[in-house]
Amino acid sequence: MSGALLLQVSHVSKSFPGVRALTDVSMTLHAGSIHALLGENGAGKSTLIKIITGLHHPDSGDVMVNGEVRRFANPRQAAAAGIGVVHQERNLVTRFSVGENIMLERLGRHALSSIDYGAIHTEASKWLRLLDLDVDPRLPVSRLSVAQMQLVEIGKALSLQSRVLLLDEPTASLTQNETRVLFAVLRKLAQDGVAICFVSHKLEEVFEICDTVTVLRDGRNACDSQPLKGLVRGDVVKMMIGREEQIARRAPRPRTDVAPYLELTDFASSAGHTDINLTVRPGEIVGLYGLVGAGRSELAKAILGMSRKTGGELRIAGRAVNISSPADALHQHGIGYVSEDRKQEGLILLHSVLGNAGITVWRKLANTLGLLRDRSVIDHTGPVLKKLEVKTPSMHQVIGNLSGGNQQKVSVAKWIAAGVKLLIIDEPSVGIDIKTKAYLHDLIHELAEQGTAILLITSDMPEMVDVADRIVVMSGFRIRGEVENDRNYDRISRAIMSHIHDSAAA
Amino acid sequence: MTDLKLIGGEDTAFLPDARPSLAQRLLFSNEFGLLLLIGLAIAIFSVSLPSFTSTFSLFTMGRQIGIDTMIGLAMMTVIVTGGLDLSVGAIGVCSAMFFGWMLQSAGLPVALAIPLAIAFGAGLGFINGVTIVRTGVHSFIITLASMSIFFGVMIFLSKAEAFNSLPPAVLGFGKLRIGTLVSSLLALSLATSVALSILYRFTSGGRRMLAAGANPRAAEISGVRTGRVFIACHMLAGGLAALAGLMVTARTGAAVPAMAGHLGQDWLLPAFLAPVLGGTLLSGGRVAVFGTLLGAALVNIITSGLLQMRVGEFWIQAFLGMLLLAAVLADRARHTLLRRKGMI
Amino acid sequence: MGGHSLTRIFDNDWIGPALVSAVAIAVISFFQPSFLTPFNIFVLLSAISVNMLVALGQLVIIAVGQMNLALGSIGGLVAICFAAMMELWGFPPVLALAGGFLIGILAGMAGGFVIARTGITAFIITLAGLQIFKGINLGITKAQPFYGVPQSVKDFGNTSMFGPIPWLVLPMIIVSVAVWYLFARLRIGRHILAIGGNRSAAELSGIDVNSTVIWAHGLSGLLAAAAGMMLVARLQLGHPTIGDDWLISSFAAPVIGGAVLSGGHVSVPGTFFGVVIIAIITQALVLFAIDPFVVQIVLGGLILWAVGINRLREARVAKALGHST
Repeated sequence: MSGALLLQVSHVSKSFPGVRALTDVSMTLHAGSIHALLGENGAGKSTLIKIITGLHHPDSGDVMVNGEVRRFANPRQAAAAGIGVVHQERNLVTRFSVGENIMLERLGRHALSSIDYGAIHTEASKWLRLLDLDVDPRLPVSRLSVAQMQLVEIGKALSLQSRVLLLDEPTASLTQNETRVLFAVLRKLAQDGVAICFVSHKLEEVFEICDTVTVLRDGRNACDSQPLKGLVRGDVVKMMIGREEQIARRAPRPRTDVAPYLELTDFASSAGHTDINLTVRPGEIVGLYGLVGAGRSELAKAILGMSRKTGGELRIAGRAVNISSPADALHQHGIGYVSEDRKQEGLILLHSVLGNAGITVWRKLANTLGLLRDRSVIDHTGPVLKKLEVKTPSMHQVIGNLSGGNQQKVSVAKWIAAGVKLLIIDEPSVGIDIKTKAYLHDLIHELAEQGTAILLITSDMPEMVDVADRIVVMSGFRIRGEVENDRNYDRISRAIMSHIHDSAAA
Repeated sequence: MTDLKLIGGEDTAFLPDARPSLAQRLLFSNEFGLLLLIGLAIAIFSVSLPSFTSTFSLFTMGRQIGIDTMIGLAMMTVIVTGGLDLSVGAIGVCSAMFFGWMLQSAGLPVALAIPLAIAFGAGLGFINGVTIVRTGVHSFIITLASMSIFFGVMIFLSKAEAFNSLPPAVLGFGKLRIGTLVSSLLALSLATSVALSILYRFTSGGRRMLAAGANPRAAEISGVRTGRVFIACHMLAGGLAALAGLMVTARTGAAVPAMAGHLGQDWLLPAFLAPVLGGTLLSGGRVAVFGTLLGAALVNIITSGLLQMRVGEFWIQAFLGMLLLAAVLADRARHTLLRRKGMI
Repeated sequence: MGGHSLTRIFDNDWIGPALVSAVAIAVISFFQPSFLTPFNIFVLLSAISVNMLVALGQLVIIAVGQMNLALGSIGGLVAICFAAMMELWGFPPVLALAGGFLIGILAGMAGGFVIARTGITAFIITLAGLQIFKGINLGITKAQPFYGVPQSVKDFGNTSMFGPIPWLVLPMIIVSVAVWYLFARLRIGRHILAIGGNRSAAELSGIDVNSTVIWAHGLSGLLAAAAGMMLVARLQLGHPTIGDDWLISSFAAPVIGGAVLSGGHVSVPGTFFGVVIIAIITQALVLFAIDPFVVQIVLGGLILWAVGINRLREARVAKALGHST
């Protein structure tokens, strides 16, 4: 089954300021094989892919293509060596046509070449046909659905005659049907001798299509290019998280019957939500599960007033209110939001630990003249940071230099310091280590015990089962159902999936 | 302040040991570099030009430094937002002309005209800020348009005529000396610098400006009303630009429509040169108030030194352009160096 | 098909400005019949020709998602060098023309090089460039014009090809068509737009972003040079203030023509009608003997108006797309 060795990564290490991203990582890709690259968020998968494609350079270790050590200065050189990659971010020029996007770097031989659009579109439609993608190559990309754009990107990578194809979470935004089409294409490509590296969070898909697997954990190999045959799901999960999948580590918590703090009735928003009914009580942890694009983060932002309420009712502590901005949400209603996008929305990386932890309390701590002393901010946020065991050389350290786990602790700490009554936590364990993750789970429980209402958004099923009291399932900007959490992983994941599938069928 | 250094887990090893010592930070700071350069420039010019350190020369230099600092601070308060304000010159001239009109045509007392002129500048800044925040269009294009409009309206209303019979108190203030050397205009800029430092360092409003400028989305989600904060930044810039306009009026004793060139464009270079030399981050979120003062000082010391050495004044313009280029390049290099050493 | 109607929305940038131009011409000539005299048309077309090249110089940089404050100072520097080469060194016009183009391209590319290599925002680099080129200009001229412009050059700028059509229209048409073709059909033009539209996509696709940016600035310098030398022909002297007042109008015309300021989308015909609108209004103010400084107010207002219209249109397109998928 395994053909020629096309790509070998051997003993690669890479550090960024403040973070050790990869330590002594190896992986081999063979022609005709579909290789799974697995690991939790922050395990180092993206870094590894960026090293292979020349976006980052390893501190030590080698990348070998066809047995030859190569150091690509940029993705262009990697592409020329036959390494194609589809990144997670959309990388298309939306005003250009599908065909022109596929052929973007081959529009003409030199800068002043005239472009033969007929030939471009004919060539492009060849690749579209291969992907069973029925769109006119002359159509601007902005007219396509997200899934179609994803396929166009794959077509673009294929059209470069790639011998090695790296796919970073290609199915994250695809429907089952589209995923099936994609898998058929991948199998066909593998038969033609392409080596495919497939990064995914969905283990079902990995077992369906892959034959070998590399698992990363905390930037190290938990396994290096091992045949998938003979492994079961439990083995892979154990390698990914370093322990058995936690089932019922915590006993289910008794239901509380206090009046809800947050209550949405037939809520609709300008972001596209309709008929949202949701309650979160003080002391309760409500999980919000859904696939990428289900509208969960958007719902959090709608609650914060970042998109307009277009229908229904939003009640805080029983009173119907209109929240016009996050400032309103925080200062009037005690609502905080830990964003999934720590770098863009969670923290101000340029500023110090103190500047980030205190941002929510400045207004409260300033005197009538607006004067604010460091001392009072430290007095207010220090105990919280200390309790969360934030490791930093000083309060004045630029937060961008801390590890992901410590950054995440600060982005939670600022809301605790502000004493919010409802905390919406969006993907809390993105890019942090296992220990911090477990710590955050304990913290969420502790906050709930103290009476904070918690809305937990996560795509990480074990996390959901471990932490939430009940799980609300969302897709297509609607609530699809609710599952009481008894910590029985298999039952709950089946129940959640059936809610999502029912809605897809409907 | 090391009370938070917790030695508990293995991953502390990833952290830099401690933050650089105070001495190290001072040594690598922009302000220290500027002080060195200023010292060097003064040493060179005072050796080669005996007249350079004369009382008159130092006084006039200080006066110009005061004005350029104020212009630089006006721009700096907008650079904080990650944007810019091309209309600072136009606002400065418009406010100065309004000031002249109030004194000469409306007969208002100076004590009333000054706050009104500054409020007028802040009002023009408010128009900029609201337009930028409401439309979401980049400040460059909005202030490009507003500079044209402000200046055009001013010329239309004033018929391009100067107000040159102002009360003697105005010119008197411009000539005022504190001690024998320090111009009142320099003192005013120093006082403004102190006030701005307090604003950014010790007030909740100033911190919100820095937070909103560094990362508007994160600040907004953390409960900062970034729209209002940005408008406040533009108003502050307008007020400071007006103050700079009044300072120029005090120096010459007249409010002249051409005092900042066509559309007020002549202020653009000092407006950017001083903050950029001072170490203000163009992408927003970090200021260097005293760096701006030192930047303006360096520029003026070199300029007047070269002028006294009879280097053609036209070439000095080219020289200042190269200085701006050198400043941004040096800043980039310093950044790379510090990053490599793990100091930022 | 849907695809065609959408392409039409994107291509329609010029319709609005064209209608506004037509209406403006009709209204003004109704109140002031002298507006359409051959002489006035000649003057109008001469101004349009020069301003179109200025606008295209900025358009190229807007397309790549940047801005060029040095445009006017490059044009001015080339203008006085062009005149100086002919007056001081006795160069024949053709040679001086070539020299002028060379200076323009090099000045533009120098700025582009620093921007591409350092990643510092184009605004600050071109502001420095503005000062440097203007300083060199004044250092050479000592603020005095060069008068020794050969008769052939003067004639080119002041005589008509036929009827009221000035010779200056000729380079304008050639360059406009060339720039349109560049953005519609040439690899470099499409790459410029790709970088402006989605820089990281362009980078990951293997487009050489740095050299494309440098060439875009070189082209911008070339267009500024052409405009500067056309002004020398028109004014019959190499005046050191040439280019000082290009800044506002160089942005106004492309923006009126529907250019997206963040890059990735520009319209050459739209820009042409933007130039026409500005020229008509300027002329009208002269004909109605209104304070010429009102032009400043009108230009600023036009930019704001156009920015507003463009945003409305973007929102509408986004909405239409949202519904169709």
